[in-house]
Amino acid sequence: MSATAATGTIDETASPARSPSRLAWRRLRRDRAALVSTGFLAFLLLAVLPGAPLLGKIVGHGPNDFFPSAVDVSLKPTGPWSYVADSAMVPPPPGTGKTLLVLGADGPLGRDELQRLLYGGRVSLTVAVGATLLALLIGTTLGTLAAFFGGWIDSVISRFTELVMAFPVLLLAIMLGSTVAGKLNGVTLGGALNQGVVSLILLIGLFTWFYPARIVRSLIVSLRAREFVEAAEMVGSSNARIMRTHLFPHVIPALAVWATLAVATNIMLEAGITFLGVGIKLPTASWGSMLAATWGTVLAPLPYNPSSFSPWLTILPSAMIFLTVLALTLLGEGLREAFDPRGGR
Amino acid sequence: MTTVGYVLRRLAASALLLLLLTLLTFTLYRAIPANPAGFLVDLSPGHAPSPEQIARAEKALGVDKPLWEQYGLYLWRAVHGDLGLAYEGTTFVPLTNERTGQAVAPAVLHAAMVTGSLVIGGALFALLLSIPLGAIAASRPRSLTDRTILVVTLIGICTHPLVVALLLQQFPGRQWGIAPASGYCRFFGAAQTTIDPATFRPALGCAGPGAWASHLVLPWITFALFFLAVYTRLVRVRMIEVMDEPFIRTAAAKGASRSRIVRHHALRNAMSPVLALVGMDIGLALGIALYIESVYRLPGLGLTTLAALNGTVGFDLPMILGVVLAIGLVIIVLNFAIDLVILWMDPRAAQAGTRRTAVGRVV
Repeated sequence: MSATAATGTIDETASPARSPSRLAWRRLRRDRAALVSTGFLAFLLLAVLPGAPLLGKIVGHGPNDFFPSAVDVSLKPTGPWSYVADSAMVPPPPGTGKTLLVLGADGPLGRDELQRLLYGGRVSLTVAVGATLLALLIGTTLGTLAAFFGGWIDSVISRFTELVMAFPVLLLAIMLGSTVAGKLNGVTLGGALNQGVVSLILLIGLFTWFYPARIVRSLIVSLRAREFVEAAEMVGSSNARIMRTHLFPHVIPALAVWATLAVATNIMLEAGITFLGVGIKLPTASWGSMLAATWGTVLAPLPYNPSSFSPWLTILPSAMIFLTVLALTLLGEGLREAFDPRGGR
Repeated sequence: MTTVGYVLRRLAASALLLLLLTLLTFTLYRAIPANPAGFLVDLSPGHAPSPEQIARAEKALGVDKPLWEQYGLYLWRAVHGDLGLAYEGTTFVPLTNERTGQAVAPAVLHAAMVTGSLVIGGALFALLLSIPLGAIAASRPRSLTDRTILVVTLIGICTHPLVVALLLQQFPGRQWGIAPASGYCRFFGAAQTTIDPATFRPALGCAGPGAWASHLVLPWITFALFFLAVYTRLVRVRMIEVMDEPFIRTAAAKGASRSRIVRHHALRNAMSPVLALVGMDIGLALGIALYIESVYRLPGLGLTTLAALNGTVGFDLPMILGVVLAIGLVIIVLNFAIDLVILWMDPRAAQAGTRRTAVGRVV
């Protein structure tokens, strides 16, 4: 108390020292688009993680249950908020109760569209986040090694990166996915993940680690020659310690921005790979497989039938993908500006 | 001296890329247990062909030799322009141990023409729209026009190309009947009945420039919408940067009009990173083409690959290798051409050495 009183005159003029992360946080809080996006993403996580099973409890059926009475004679699924007979039999046995399909049915099989959207979102987000984490792990490690040791390690990693980046990632993922991933589809980590999730995470992660590797490498190459690294070397710090405590904190902002945008592109990649028939297998829902609901598969496209066609089955998963990707992109841009307000774009 | 060394190094890296890609594909698909002999004799349970029949089929397919010998033979034939015969639909030539079937090289060439029609037309669309849009947005930064263009392009970036393709196919294509919703027509030649490579259903053919263009309108728009967003933003950012440079002030001081400054001084200098991004995006464009070809059922490289991966018996390795080689070659040749164009437009790039600074994107 007395100490502040003694220095009171100085405190009024000098602004308190703020760490870079605190400054970034202050800037991010003023970015309305980033805040709305964060709110939407939090809502989505709540809806997808505890929300999906909760909804199942309330309406009393799961995302893979069939309701033939939710489909009319021309195989057109019912619209939103319809009560249908709670039975998988045709015709439903007498005395069957009714069950609620909040967003209607998902196609000729008559499954709950809203539940499939939520469970599908869970699968899509798991794949996107998992693949991003895997890419971060591989990319940060290899990028740090390349920048720190230089020489042949650097040239091998850099050349390899350039080679693979030139080739269409989607095509490689599909070619590899249809050969190798079949063996990994059974891996579910004790039932914690759906079939195909692990193989998609590996597939996407293994083809996208070049980006964090390049970011980390270029940042560390420029930091490597700075005085504080020299000072740490002089007092006898080990290489591992220098990387961990002196270099790594500097790359976190750039990696956070990349990771946010990467989750967005990975959601798109998952949808694309699954749409093309290589990713998540039915009956598991994912936003990619739901996109294909009105379209069929690559090998067997559904013939267009105006009487049973239901455009909302395409529009709902499309909207979910769009909103999630938009929110992640806005958040990523917000983070980029918060960490580096003068850095272009 | 440096130019020659640069070209030589690029050529060596390109040859290495092709070698690596084919080797990877080759070993990957040979390591799969499915026996390609199944394409010639029925291996399904209940048919049980004799070991002699299987051996005869393996010999005809050339898969009886050791792996490295198969690969060497493939490379030797490939440099002579012979990519072999596809597995899918192959049969024995009667009374011999030879097999006949669809030749891979012409099939891949035809598929490449389809993909080329899609990608080149779509890219022209995207560039011709994005350069003026970006320049307009940059001419008054933070104005209403600029913000509108930014928001619209942001929406474009965040929309999955599959979504655009499906919605365009559904509404203008099927329900409103403005343009054909699927299929492809040859530019040259007369109409003929063709077999859809994925569904094996016969389709009534069509041909001619008019039919070709009308079937490609929706695919072109889908392709362009995806790239329009990214390129408009890039042109805008570059134009804002370039308009700050001293030589623009000099031009203005000499009395050049604003439109002359934009067209003659700024755009030319803003173009080189745009072209560099075109070079980097060739791979991405082929990926996007895969989505578009699937939705609109264009028999291009992407649909050919998907059909070869989902064959009746197993993977159609010669076809897959052919597509991989074609894509590798296209990427190498186009990158090289774009490098030359950049050097011609902006000679400073020769000294800079590292022109690839834009952060890559994946879809």
